[in-house]
Amino acid sequence: MTTNTRREIIDNVQKLEAALAKVKQAQKIFAGYTQEQVDRIFLEAAMAANRERIRLAKMAAAETGMGIAEDKVIKNHYASEYIYNAYKNARTCGVIEEDKAYGIKKIAEPVGIIAAVIPTTNPTSTAIFKTLLALKTRNGIVITPHPRAKNCTAEAARIVLQAAVKAGAPEDIISWIDIPSLEMTNYIMKQSDLILATGGPGMVTAAYSSGKPAIGVGPGNTPAVIDASADILLAVNSIVHSKTFDHGMICASEQSVIVLDSIYDKVKDEFVKRGCYILSEEETEKIRNTIIINGALNAKIVGQPAAKIAALAGFEVPEKTKILIGEVESVDLSEEFAHEKLSPVLAMYRAHSFTQALDKAERLIEDGGFGHTASVYLDATTEKEKIDEFANRMKTCRILVNTPSSHGGIGDLYNFKLAPSLTLGCGSWGGNSVSDNVGVKHLLNIKTVAERRENMLWFRTPQKIYMKNGCLPVALDELKDVLGKKKVFIVTDSFLYNNGYTKPVTDKLDELGIVHTTFFNVAPDPTLACAKEGAAAMTAFAPDCIIALGGGSAMDAAKIMWVLYEHPEADFMDMAMRFMDIRKRVYTFPKMGQKAYFIAVPTTSGTGSEVTPFAVITDETTGVKYPLADYELLPHMAIVDAGLMMDQPKGLTSASGIDALTHALEAYASMLATDYTDGLALKAIKMIFEYLPSAYENGASDPKSRQKMADASTMAGMAFANAFLGVCHSMAHKLGAFHHLPHGTANALMIEEVLRFNAVDTPVKMGTFPQYDHPRTMERYAEIADFLGLGGKTDEDKLKNLIKAIGELKEKVGIKKTIKDYGIDEKYFLDNLDEMTEQAFDDQCTGANPRYPLMSEIKEMYLNAYYGRKQNI
Amino acid sequence: MNLNNVIAVRASKTVYRDGDLAIKVFDEGYSKADVLNEALNQARIEGTGLHIPEIVEVTKTEGKWAIITRFIEGRTLETLMNENPDKFDAYLEQFVDLHLEVHRQKSPLLNKLKDKMNRQISMTDLDATTRYDLHTRLESMPYHHKVCHGDFNPSNIIIANDGTPYILDWSHATQGNASADAARTYLLFWLSGNTEAAAKYLKLFCKKSDTAKQYVQKWIPLVAACQSIKGNPDERSLLLRWVDVIDYE
Repeated sequence: MTTNTRREIIDNVQKLEAALAKVKQAQKIFAGYTQEQVDRIFLEAAMAANRERIRLAKMAAAETGMGIAEDKVIKNHYASEYIYNAYKNARTCGVIEEDKAYGIKKIAEPVGIIAAVIPTTNPTSTAIFKTLLALKTRNGIVITPHPRAKNCTAEAARIVLQAAVKAGAPEDIISWIDIPSLEMTNYIMKQSDLILATGGPGMVTAAYSSGKPAIGVGPGNTPAVIDASADILLAVNSIVHSKTFDHGMICASEQSVIVLDSIYDKVKDEFVKRGCYILSEEETEKIRNTIIINGALNAKIVGQPAAKIAALAGFEVPEKTKILIGEVESVDLSEEFAHEKLSPVLAMYRAHSFTQALDKAERLIEDGGFGHTASVYLDATTEKEKIDEFANRMKTCRILVNTPSSHGGIGDLYNFKLAPSLTLGCGSWGGNSVSDNVGVKHLLNIKTVAERRENMLWFRTPQKIYMKNGCLPVALDELKDVLGKKKVFIVTDSFLYNNGYTKPVTDKLDELGIVHTTFFNVAPDPTLACAKEGAAAMTAFAPDCIIALGGGSAMDAAKIMWVLYEHPEADFMDMAMRFMDIRKRVYTFPKMGQKAYFIAVPTTSGTGSEVTPFAVITDETTGVKYPLADYELLPHMAIVDAGLMMDQPKGLTSASGIDALTHALEAYASMLATDYTDGLALKAIKMIFEYLPSAYENGASDPKSRQKMADASTMAGMAFANAFLGVCHSMAHKLGAFHHLPHGTANALMIEEVLRFNAVDTPVKMGTFPQYDHPRTMERYAEIADFLGLGGKTDEDKLKNLIKAIGELKEKVGIKKTIKDYGIDEKYFLDNLDEMTEQAFDDQCTGANPRYPLMSEIKEMYLNAYYGRKQNI
Repeated sequence: MNLNNVIAVRASKTVYRDGDLAIKVFDEGYSKADVLNEALNQARIEGTGLHIPEIVEVTKTEGKWAIITRFIEGRTLETLMNENPDKFDAYLEQFVDLHLEVHRQKSPLLNKLKDKMNRQISMTDLDATTRYDLHTRLESMPYHHKVCHGDFNPSNIIIANDGTPYILDWSHATQGNASADAARTYLLFWLSGNTEAAAKYLKLFCKKSDTAKQYVQKWIPLVAACQSIKGNPDERSLLLRWVDVIDYE
């Protein structure tokens, strides 16, 4: 039959080396084949193997002296037809998957040379299976047959090769060892790119220790549990069918049946009726001594008919006996029947309960079938819980229900979603690298081409923002007319309360006939205790609307009370967990607004809290600040009425004004800045430069400046509510916390440092965000300077002018030059510097900064700001 | 050198006693390399601190190689076991403890057990398929580096008059897997006809060394194959039966 006359017999390592070189050469060419070429080769090779299925089966049975030729025909047929059918349309060459919108593409590449170890139990079908998979994936393959089956394995490989070459495959794409030796096996394993080892533990161990990636599979010891709910006729006949297949040589074949007490006799009768032989006690002992020698399986019984095994043991059974069944008790390895038997010998156990049956099955799997296959027979409609329990307890990668395991395990015969395969992965339990049925995907390297994509961004604000001097009562009309609110809970601080700031609100509510109450015990830097007290009052009052009236403290406190009111179970530690990307945060913030509508009414122009999703609360017992950030915390309505801000004291005007300025500056420089936030930020900056000095100097006598500052503050708030802040706020947060500086002042002391720090072209580390493609913050600051009309030719000049202008503005509103100037003790400052630095580094605001700061850099900025140094970092 | 007092005759060697010396004289034609290897093994084992007869001299007498060691006054454990069957279990206990004591030793320059077994499997007259399976099985066994005696049986243990046990005959010593050495001892018991002692030994060894019985059993086809090259025809059919097993697939 051999037509490939030029092929030399490979019987030593030198010849194998030469053959391997040829396969490698052929594979290089094959790697360039198109899917169409490959599919044609795959088709022709499968057809050829299929045509020769009977001859190969007869060869295999004759050469090995094991198994049944007719069953081997099925295996060969399966290996060609089912494998072809499963993968005929599979994309295995070039681009196999693409999503242009997401910019992701998957490209299949061959792994190279596959070393395939073929077992003696399935010598032709496994060879067909592996060569077909190799062809479909453009791999070269070198086959190591078992010496007991070397001729039939080689012949199977030759048939596939011949057909493949005829269909256009490179000539030497498949090769095989003719006279195998361990030395050659080891050589080819070490030289290959991937090992597909099917066989005993020795070969699998050799494959895994070769240092090459290996897909090795191992022994099974399949138990079949027959539950009382099972269809006995189906169960017994399935097991007989499966166990007798190829004289029990399939690794997934049943080795034991575990039968529930109540149906034991019926099952036994059915086995007898179907030609099985129940061994007597004496015969059982004889079989024990025959099948296992010193704990290992006697080679003489493997794949032999039942009658022959009985004869070897020294007794006779009818010649057509299908299976020898030993009724045994122990599931321990000291019981010979508990081993894998690779022959039509079956252990039968009795179990008193389903749970006990599972105990036995579990142990049998442990005895020698970890990761392989387990099977159960039951009523799949009524006993779903038992299926779950069985699946839960069996440490096997295939769990078969009402299925003959030999046929069922290899897939696509009794279940059409289980991939057809003659190499069954046993997972880590079986010491394997794969746990599913081996297929083409295991023989490919998949390259993923990922193009750069930019993040989707967003712009979120309260549903309603009302502004203008005197707008408060007008806006509140909605509570009745539009929103239909009945009970309003007002949160404010005692100063505002005592000075009548809440009166316009309560008067209006009275006018509208809305019930209300006021909680005014909010202090600056509100504490958890304060929030809890407010929340308790809120819970008692059960409002459907909350009005927060005040500066940042009152609004933040109200937000926290709102959370506690709506979700008393929420944990602050969880809510305050730092995130890298607000959309990917681990913690899911509870849904807000189910109990109450939230209205924020600022009385200072700075924090922007009325339009931001942020709130800070301090645990007074530990001193820990919990910064909360989530769009669930966004107020529903903001009412910006400058009339409430007219009498702010000078210090507050100055500090909160500069705070608003840093909000806008940082939002503009942030990596998350968008054109939407830029517009707000730029305009806010310009308004602050224009109106803050007068608002500071003239207060209530310049209502226009007050109005402009109120709007600028809210606009800056919307900008940073979406673009977030930066390292200036990180440092200001900790400076404020460590040294009790007002938040706005702390920002004012750091902002120029941060501008210098961010503007460099060669930062030590830049921030990580797809939109931020190169260090370009200098340019961004220059844009601000331009918008302010500060002049300057180069970006450097513009930056200098911007810094200068900020310095002048600060001076105009009475901000001192250095941290030291605020009377912060030098020793105390230096003693706490490292701790403050680390905390600032870890602040939530740091993440959006365009330059990723090192801790040493933060420390330097602090020192610069403390002493008024101007050195670059 | 006084060679009048013969104390043991073995195939191709004779052992004499001369005062406090034992003189093992090898037949003419005995491999020089084997003699020197045996002496070297023994010298290496002396370095471990185990109680063994100390080598005094390696020499030639009347053209034959001889290894001279200290003579240990006492009786072999085999003799004691035979003479006191009621004390068999206690002797076996001592025997296993001694075996474990050997396995606790390291001697990095000794030959490797797996190398030796690989060579021996290649030398057998088993068919190519069986040898392939045996080589594969051997290769997959774990590498260890414990001192293995290689012929550990009660006739090689002398209980000196002061009660100290001495271990003789280190010609087969290697470093390797203790379970292989135990499988060999099991086989030796079996071949001596004492199958009951073999089973007892294996059970006790596994218990004391906290080893799974299957783990020792995995070595049995391998040690049986190696033993088959010794060419004792009476043992052959048993050895071949033990060899003819299959790895699960």
